[in-house]
Amino acid sequence: MATAVATRRPANRGRRTPEPRAIRRRRALVAWGFALPFMVLFLVFMAGPVLGSFLMSFTDLRSSDLRTPLAVEPVGLDNYARLLSDELFHQAAFNTAYFVLVGIPLTMALALAAAVGLNSGIRRFNTFFRVGYYLPVVTSIVAVAVVWRFLLQPDYGVVNTVLGWVGIDGPDWLSSTTWAMPSLIVMAAWRNMGYLMVIFLAGLQTIPEHLYEAAELDGAGSWARFRHVTVPLLRPTLLFGAVITGIGYLQFFEEPFVMTQGGPLNSTLSVSYHIYNQFGFGNYSYAAAMGYVLFVAVVALTAVQFRLLRPQT
Amino acid sequence: MTAPTHATTPGPAGPGGAVQPAAPPSAAARRGRPEGRDRAWVYVALTVGLVLLVGPFVWMLLGSVKTDAELRQVPPTWLPEQASLDNYRVLFERLDFATYFTNSVVVAATVTVGNLVFCSMLGYALTKLDFPGRRALFVLVLGMLMVPGMVIFVPLFVIVSNMGLTNTYPGLILPYLAGPFGVFLMRQFISGIPDELIDAARVDGAGEWRIFSRVVMPLCGPALATLAILTFLASWNNFLWPLVVAQTEDMYTLPVALALYAVGQNATRYGLLMAGSVVVVLPIIALFLLLQRYFVRGITMTGIK
Amino acid sequence: MRALTRGAVLLLASGLVVAGCGREENGEGTGGGAEAEAESVAEGEATGTVEVWAMGAEGENLDVLAEDFMAENPEAEVRVTPVPWEAAHDKIATAIAAGEVPDVSLVGTTWMGEFAATDALDPTPTDLIDEDAFFDGAWDTTVYDGTSYGVPWYVETRLVFYRSDLAEQAGVEEPTDWDSLKALATGLQEAGARWGLNLQPGATGAWQTFMPFAWQNGAAIVDDEGNYALDSPEMVEALEYYASYFEEGLASTALAQPGELESGFAGGSIGAFVSGPWHVTLVEEQGGEGFEEQYTLAHMPEQETATSFVGGGDLVVFRDAENREAAWKFVEYVSRPEVQQKWYETVSALPSVESAWESGELADDPKLALFGEQLQDAQSPPAVPTWEQVAAVIDAQIEAVVVGGADPAAAVAEMQAQAESIGTGG
Repeated sequence: MATAVATRRPANRGRRTPEPRAIRRRRALVAWGFALPFMVLFLVFMAGPVLGSFLMSFTDLRSSDLRTPLAVEPVGLDNYARLLSDELFHQAAFNTAYFVLVGIPLTMALALAAAVGLNSGIRRFNTFFRVGYYLPVVTSIVAVAVVWRFLLQPDYGVVNTVLGWVGIDGPDWLSSTTWAMPSLIVMAAWRNMGYLMVIFLAGLQTIPEHLYEAAELDGAGSWARFRHVTVPLLRPTLLFGAVITGIGYLQFFEEPFVMTQGGPLNSTLSVSYHIYNQFGFGNYSYAAAMGYVLFVAVVALTAVQFRLLRPQT
Repeated sequence: MTAPTHATTPGPAGPGGAVQPAAPPSAAARRGRPEGRDRAWVYVALTVGLVLLVGPFVWMLLGSVKTDAELRQVPPTWLPEQASLDNYRVLFERLDFATYFTNSVVVAATVTVGNLVFCSMLGYALTKLDFPGRRALFVLVLGMLMVPGMVIFVPLFVIVSNMGLTNTYPGLILPYLAGPFGVFLMRQFISGIPDELIDAARVDGAGEWRIFSRVVMPLCGPALATLAILTFLASWNNFLWPLVVAQTEDMYTLPVALALYAVGQNATRYGLLMAGSVVVVLPIIALFLLLQRYFVRGITMTGIK
Repeated sequence: MRALTRGAVLLLASGLVVAGCGREENGEGTGGGAEAEAESVAEGEATGTVEVWAMGAEGENLDVLAEDFMAENPEAEVRVTPVPWEAAHDKIATAIAAGEVPDVSLVGTTWMGEFAATDALDPTPTDLIDEDAFFDGAWDTTVYDGTSYGVPWYVETRLVFYRSDLAEQAGVEEPTDWDSLKALATGLQEAGARWGLNLQPGATGAWQTFMPFAWQNGAAIVDDEGNYALDSPEMVEALEYYASYFEEGLASTALAQPGELESGFAGGSIGAFVSGPWHVTLVEEQGGEGFEEQYTLAHMPEQETATSFVGGGDLVVFRDAENREAAWKFVEYVSRPEVQQKWYETVSALPSVESAWESGELADDPKLALFGEQLQDAQSPPAVPTWEQVAAVIDAQIEAVVVGGADPAAAVAEMQAQAESIGTGG
């Protein structure tokens, strides 16, 4: 993470003679002025709840304590230790890792392909396409679920019908412990690509025109231009997209919630789903502990992404 | 900006690459992008993708004019057997639509404007201003983005309740007025703006606020449009928070009000659910149509470097 | 003031770690504990404002009853806030945490234990509400740790729905016991149904379909002392019986998708299923005109008993209610037989008061009357705060047997072990 931050240091540092301290202090003041509104809201509405829920994860708070949350016992790391023996949590962690590792690259590739396609100078129907590609993001999850179930239905579903044409006998996707998760991954990629596409489209606008022209004068084909102009210059946006998708996908919940309820035999139970259930059961402190383990996983994933996608200078 | 050091690598020219049409040059030609056959392929690929993507949306639209019995039918139908606007009629007759719509607009619009302003400000500070604690601040913001929302929900409500903000607009708005997502997004985009441009303005004696509002923001059109679309979407669709904060029906937002009748204890009224989803989604599409125009190359950006 | 204390709590929870202020000696917090004393409610008309939260169709239509009540009590005003079912549980839980509760709320029967254990609910004033007026199974949903914390408002219970036309074709009789239910399913399949009897193979709520069979066989969730008693031979036997439908291909191991059940039943691919009163409307809507002649309802089959599941909604009054007296008076009002009948006419919610079934449509319509009859023999799970979690364990073990092929005896032992480690909360 630090690398990425460091490379965006203002250009003046190190080039000029050191500034007088007064100027530096004034500049810092100005900077904190810019940060002020965010910081105020942050301290009141985020830092408090986060601190509270973090401390909660070291107690035995459950729903019956709702009215008297002070009357709980500190239990140290018990909730975290309990995670080690919670087999459902292990399964959920495995499922979530599977989902994230396959889902992120797939979604990013689809979204980037769509964004580049939509940005490739097509003029006719451009708006139409852009809206169309964004629609899955705003379509009701219930409608999405109905149509996807229809696609994946074993007997007359579209997917198995098409597979049948080439002689493949498709499985009952959502009732199979092997195929339920891949089905949900594809569905999630389908739902989220429009979201990332919007971000990528905006990022593509920041790439200066003349670089493409220069590359073309050098005889670079469209793939070479994509590879050597688009991708390197889109890095900050790609990084953003990867991090946002990672954060979203590690908290993967809606698809199994509407499609499989975490089944069959917990094969699509995600960590977030498990947390949701534990909250529902009233095990607040245990759910909070799980939430912070998930938090650590997100941080680790993000650190890796920052490393992989750091600007190459 | 990072120099595209590899861009000069020679490669086979694309089929349309060398062809430069005579005046007037089309947008595509100016960009040196696909021509002719290439472009046809782009259209084919985009159209195939489009069909796969809009299916459920179309089903939702068609579903909203079907009866519940037809919606429950397995396998589902595409075209309604007997199209009727009954679902919409029920919704509009039962719901005090103007109130909920107003609440939703007030909340989502305020949240969006707040995020645009506050997140860009911090994003600017994080990239273009040097100050102690900058890195820590960024890591903190990023960290906030990663805390699962479920975990902080109850403590957040207790705080808002103690501030006496339940059943008020501030209670609905303030917790979402400046989110870490926006800061991260704006930081990533502003980091792409050349430092030279800002230094030049500083040399001309411009203050930081002036540089921010007159130099940086005009270059952030696509980023601001993106942030506006995504923030508005999230706020507009937010369900649990407005439900919990609103103590009386007149403070409900649209998604909360629409959920009142569709989902029962044991059975779901799919027709109302679909019609409600369509009603909720239309303003978002309208906003997207309005803002996607800003996804054009920032003109000022091109001349630099 | 109390709200302020609570706010400080979550921010200053650190204090608790340091100062070690903990639960009271019995380790139960202030929640529940020994039998709570119910305060009485003064006689006379209700006055002041009563805030009521009610979900779904109930919330939407409650104004009808509220107006009658206000006509009878001119000094009182009932304000109804409808709440979507989807997140009603979370709304009530957060309201309790923040101390911003209404006077009265509708609560799903299976949430009662959890909310009662928070000590947020006011014990039912026995001088005002007569326990004997209600169905036993329904009343039990309000009882936590020996004390009632609410009043059953409406009920639902499960019956066997089956295609009478197919049954006739196959020459099978109305099911009366486990064997004849199996015979019915087999017969329906022979008559063309792909699945003879649809049973839930797992996932949330499977226990509601399974537990009636366990109860019929004499199994129980808890014993008389309130300890879990899931691992009985009766429970194993019931699970074996339940699983046999799947093994014999009479029931599908794939979770029915929304609409699949109604649509399959109307189309004849599902011969029978077990469900509650809402399905009467759903299948008749699905089957179209004349379908009511093609299917019928049957009482639960008898093994030792012919028990079904009872659920529905209870009305509770919060301890922090600003207008406790009027709140209870309103609750008492809506549990009068004639008001319950009117409520049935308004939203088709089945009355929890037995005498409301003695006249009118509820007595005359044979399908409806059967629900009333079944309610005489219907059970609910114990109102313990950890119930939802134990229910999820039962759901998971049903799935392990039915879908995963696990041994029923092992699954039942696992149910018991997990239930014991979860505990009864409090």
